[in-house]
Amino acid sequence: MKLPAALRLPSRVGWRDHVIGALLALVYVAWLIPGARVLGFPRDEGIYFRAGADYFRWWHSLLERGREALQQGAIDGAFNINHEHPPLMKTLFGASEWLLHEKWRVFADASTAFRLPGMMSAGLAIWVTYLFGARAWSRRAGLVAALLFALMPRVFFHAHLACFDVPITAMWILCVYVHWRAQEKRTWGWAVAVGVAYGLCLATKHNAWVLPFVLVPHALFVDRHGIWRALRVGRVSIPASIVTMATVGPAVLYALWPWIWNDTMGRLQFWADFMTHHDYYNIEFLGKNYFGPPSPKSYLPVMVLATVPTITILLFLAGAIDRIGVGVRRLRAWAMTLAHRDPRDTPPRDPLETDLLLALSFCGCVSVFFLSKTPIFGGTKHWMPAYPVLALFAGRGFDLVTAAMHRALPALDDTKRRLAETALVACVTVAPLAVTAHSHPFGLSAYVPLVGGTAGGADMGLNRQFWGFTTQTAAAEYLNSKAPRGANVFVNDTTWDAWARMQEEGRVRGDLRVVGAPAEAMLSLVQHELHMNEVDYDIWIADGSDAPVYVVTHDDVPIVSIYGRR
Amino acid sequence: MSATALSALQRWGFAIVPAVGLVELVAHVAQTRPAANEGDWAAARAWVAASAKPEDLVAFAPKWIDPVGRMRFGDDIANIEREARPDETRFPRAIEVGIRGAHLAAFDGWRKSDTQRFGGVTVTTWENPSPAHVLSDLVSMIEPRHAHVFRGDAECPWSHTRPESGGLGYGPAVPADRFACPGGGFAGMSVVADLDYVPHRCIYAPPAGGPLRIRFEGVRFGHELHGHHAIYVEAERNRTGAPVTLSFASGGTSIGSIVHRDGDGWKPFELDTSQLDGQTGELTVEVSSPSSDRRQYCFEADTR
Repeated sequence: MKLPAALRLPSRVGWRDHVIGALLALVYVAWLIPGARVLGFPRDEGIYFRAGADYFRWWHSLLERGREALQQGAIDGAFNINHEHPPLMKTLFGASEWLLHEKWRVFADASTAFRLPGMMSAGLAIWVTYLFGARAWSRRAGLVAALLFALMPRVFFHAHLACFDVPITAMWILCVYVHWRAQEKRTWGWAVAVGVAYGLCLATKHNAWVLPFVLVPHALFVDRHGIWRALRVGRVSIPASIVTMATVGPAVLYALWPWIWNDTMGRLQFWADFMTHHDYYNIEFLGKNYFGPPSPKSYLPVMVLATVPTITILLFLAGAIDRIGVGVRRLRAWAMTLAHRDPRDTPPRDPLETDLLLALSFCGCVSVFFLSKTPIFGGTKHWMPAYPVLALFAGRGFDLVTAAMHRALPALDDTKRRLAETALVACVTVAPLAVTAHSHPFGLSAYVPLVGGTAGGADMGLNRQFWGFTTQTAAAEYLNSKAPRGANVFVNDTTWDAWARMQEEGRVRGDLRVVGAPAEAMLSLVQHELHMNEVDYDIWIADGSDAPVYVVTHDDVPIVSIYGRR
Repeated sequence: MSATALSALQRWGFAIVPAVGLVELVAHVAQTRPAANEGDWAAARAWVAASAKPEDLVAFAPKWIDPVGRMRFGDDIANIEREARPDETRFPRAIEVGIRGAHLAAFDGWRKSDTQRFGGVTVTTWENPSPAHVLSDLVSMIEPRHAHVFRGDAECPWSHTRPESGGLGYGPAVPADRFACPGGGFAGMSVVADLDYVPHRCIYAPPAGGPLRIRFEGVRFGHELHGHHAIYVEAERNRTGAPVTLSFASGGTSIGSIVHRDGDGWKPFELDTSQLDGQTGELTVEVSSPSSDRRQYCFEADTR
């Protein structure tokens, strides 16, 4: 069976692949949008909603009032809120809300409009992952990499939010990809694109500070012969992408962040200080509550194994081991050449040093989490920029498995080969799809089957949630139908901002009133995390009973307990 | 391994990958099925309600199912005395209500005497090989019929008012029924989250503004005074607070003192009372600390 000519792809990766990447992104965003309605608002998101509205309002006022908006008072008035994080995504959240909710009413919920740029950034990450895999190895590898990245439950959860973790993941892989392309294209246009991408990365989240440790060594290694030749004639040759990262990158950050237009150095210093001396928050790991250094070194590996589908990890290992093998063979051949011996087994040289770039990118994202001073309260979200690379190696692993299948089944005709390949794709994606779909809206409570699922995670003493967003599920399952009219509710870890927005959008009954203590409440909520247990016990004393009236569960595991005053 | 087997493995080894994918799917389907339904819980509750004696412990396994257990069983069975127990030594029997084959390590070494299955809920009865016989439980005696509380020379009257509680970081709730001291300070029954966030029913008696004395009347003495004490987790986990000293005396004679230092957690203690064995009388407890800063202190003790 032959595909129609219009659907056949040329061997060279090109615009059609952008269409494929865009379609994957579109499907993912379309899947995310309806899920936003059932997902409550985490603590940080409420702040970003407000900041986004303020930031965008300032840009709007700049267009309307010009010079007046440029006064420091006007800038600081808009950008002081949440100035510890750079502005790009918050500005986009605000723009999206203004356009898609306030002006055009595309979304009935303001929150969905706020969240859309975050969702689109997930789509962007998928798009770039596909392209990267397609160019580096094969379209099949790119497709599987994109799917396996999209079908990680934690990625899926965070992709719904108006936060920065998925956006920085997208910006990171975009920047790495553009840098990689720039090494091939060697034009100033691509070099400037690296600078712009890096600037966007800087304007998204401080993870960008680590990127130079990935891109600079890679660029120097790719250009090593040219740099050496220049040095021998007394010249210094610096790769163009490094120059643009150092110049265009900060310029983009500066242009997008009016808050640093005044007292620039002082405010950049504040940003650096804030992030390097960040508070530690409580988080449970293996049954222990961590609230300060030293952080356990096993945290990252255990959490990756417990939250990334096992089939994805297996393919990642297959792909990574293959690439490490190639690297070892290259090193051995190089060593033999130095010793003037004949390197019989020399793998083909990759002028773009793709393996090195991906390895540096992966290590750059994860290495900091082996330092004992790095806070671990963010669960897996803080190393999420490593996941597109993890998925790319998994895509490479899938290529190897497919090749092995073809060797095992040489007699298959084209149609059967395609069917077998499709079945193989289904086999490696169906479990991640099922696990991811099932996890919503409890993405932070869900763990993969390897550790026993959500119940297994609870058995192991792994964190069940943070940020108090599950209050919305408590409302949907109990409060909205059972709470007495006008009842006072203690919402514990949910911010009053988040509660007010849930009421505004009809997610929580409007007559319910928030109070600050269980003793003042008719109904009290506890979002189950180890360190929240103390609130449970306070409610027992305040209410005179330790029996909840309702418990929200996911796969039997308590997520929120609701107590009622007797 | 024979050459044929090796060749087959090399040829078909790739199949491990799709097999792992499918096994992961099957495991997911199996793990996401509910372990027990409402009917199972109701049947288990009915059996436990009929079988459990007041002195028995009722506990849920795994530990994380506890909120569901409390909801299904209600506070008449899953009461605070059982849920926030000081330890298991006083219970002659434990009725363990478990799902997913879970079992509490606390009953290792106890003798299993009965198992009942109600669908997905398993109820196991365990016999304590050496239960302690509690004569007087001070936590149950912290009320005006059995206790008087003093700060300095001033007596702290018994009061019934609103309980006081807050959100995360507030510390143990201040109970509605308490001895409230003039100028601050109180004593009453509350539940403390210990260093491991485990609940313990105890006498909440912060040494605020000077030593707090509690005089218990009608205490039946045995051969020992057995107890635990702790400071609220967030107040002791940074290990920067002052120690708290708990002293016991009867008839003007000291029984002993124990010091709680930050980081000790739910610290057990035992004091010899064999000289008072068989007597009923007064027991004075003093709680003191060189500082009152975040000394959210709670203790429990019984005679046995």
